[in-house]
Amino acid sequence: MNTTKKTLFAQTMEQHKGIVYKIVNSYCQNQDDRQDLAQEILTTMWLAFDNYDTEYKFSTWMYRIALNVAISYYRKDSKRVDRANADEECIVKIADFSQEGERSEDVVLLYRFIGQLDKLNKAIMLLYLESEPYDSIANSLGMSKTNVATRIGRIKETLKNQFETQES
Amino acid sequence: MNLDNFKKTWEQQNSDTDAAIKINQAMLAEMKVNKQIKTLNNMKWARTLESVVFFYIIFLLGQYIATDFSLSASTISAFILNIFAIVGLAGNIGQIVLISKIDYAKPVSQLQKDIYSVCSHKLQLTKLLLMSAPFYMAYVFLGFDLLLGVDLFQHLEQQMVLFYSVTSLLLLTGILFLLAKLHYKNIGTSWVKSTIQFIVGERLVNMAQFINSIEATDS
Repeated sequence: MNTTKKTLFAQTMEQHKGIVYKIVNSYCQNQDDRQDLAQEILTTMWLAFDNYDTEYKFSTWMYRIALNVAISYYRKDSKRVDRANADEECIVKIADFSQEGERSEDVVLLYRFIGQLDKLNKAIMLLYLESEPYDSIANSLGMSKTNVATRIGRIKETLKNQFETQES
Repeated sequence: MNLDNFKKTWEQQNSDTDAAIKINQAMLAEMKVNKQIKTLNNMKWARTLESVVFFYIIFLLGQYIATDFSLSASTISAFILNIFAIVGLAGNIGQIVLISKIDYAKPVSQLQKDIYSVCSHKLQLTKLLLMSAPFYMAYVFLGFDLLLGVDLFQHLEQQMVLFYSVTSLLLLTGILFLLAKLHYKNIGTSWVKSTIQFIVGERLVNMAQFINSIEATDS
């Protein structure tokens, strides 16, 4: 990849790094896994960058790749690997979500709720919160628009029930 | 709070997220391969090596058939086992092609199915081995001929032939049922889940559950 492309990639990732942050915090429970997944997402983006399909909005295309990496992400023995990599320099550094005091209560609550969903519903929820239209969500996930709508309806219902239970 | 309120909260956090993540651009640009790609490359090499082994078996069995081309039990046995080896080789070549086509920009359901197919190789190999179990006498006939130079079939009594045939038929029925069940669509059945977990591991079970959850509401 030439220097111009490297610069372009760096700029694009700076612009869209929020996507990585949101996905790793939604899919991983501990900080080491978040760090590792973020690295996997960024390197996969780097390797796929040449094949960017301009038919899609960049954020939509990036979400699709990042979700694919997150869903297929699997670490058998994270603790062992973490100790080995503890002192190594990292490609990406993510602030520890639990240590971020300034995070609003609503954001913490939101991530807690997303964390309870299964992998597929997490993906739907993330794309929905990014205001992606239903057909774009369906297209990214490879499922029907009706299925997406049904699942969003169910997520809304679950959310409503959870808040009702909390309030009562 | 409802999902629409959550949407507003989500939009508001965008400015905070930028500060919470820092990318080392210099290191990123040096990256040639990552863990997932490395795993896929390792799988490709393993499948290539297996293909060589299968090809060697096909060659040896082919040579055996060619030297004694008759309708003897051992030649027919070699022919049957050769078919299994050819299926194994074809499956391995298919796997190599599939690994080369893994594309993370594909829709999630499609890519997850592709990765499932790649990761279920061990399961497919076990299925192939199990499928050859009803033809266990083929191994025996061939072994006797190769090691002792004896055509065992000629020495078997009619009753024994009948017994082995019935056993093979029963085994075939059982194995066909088992193999049909060992599919991601049946991952909800506890013994299927445990068997797949035992043969391949937890990762494949998770993937099967994910694919199933997409397909369950779509069908």
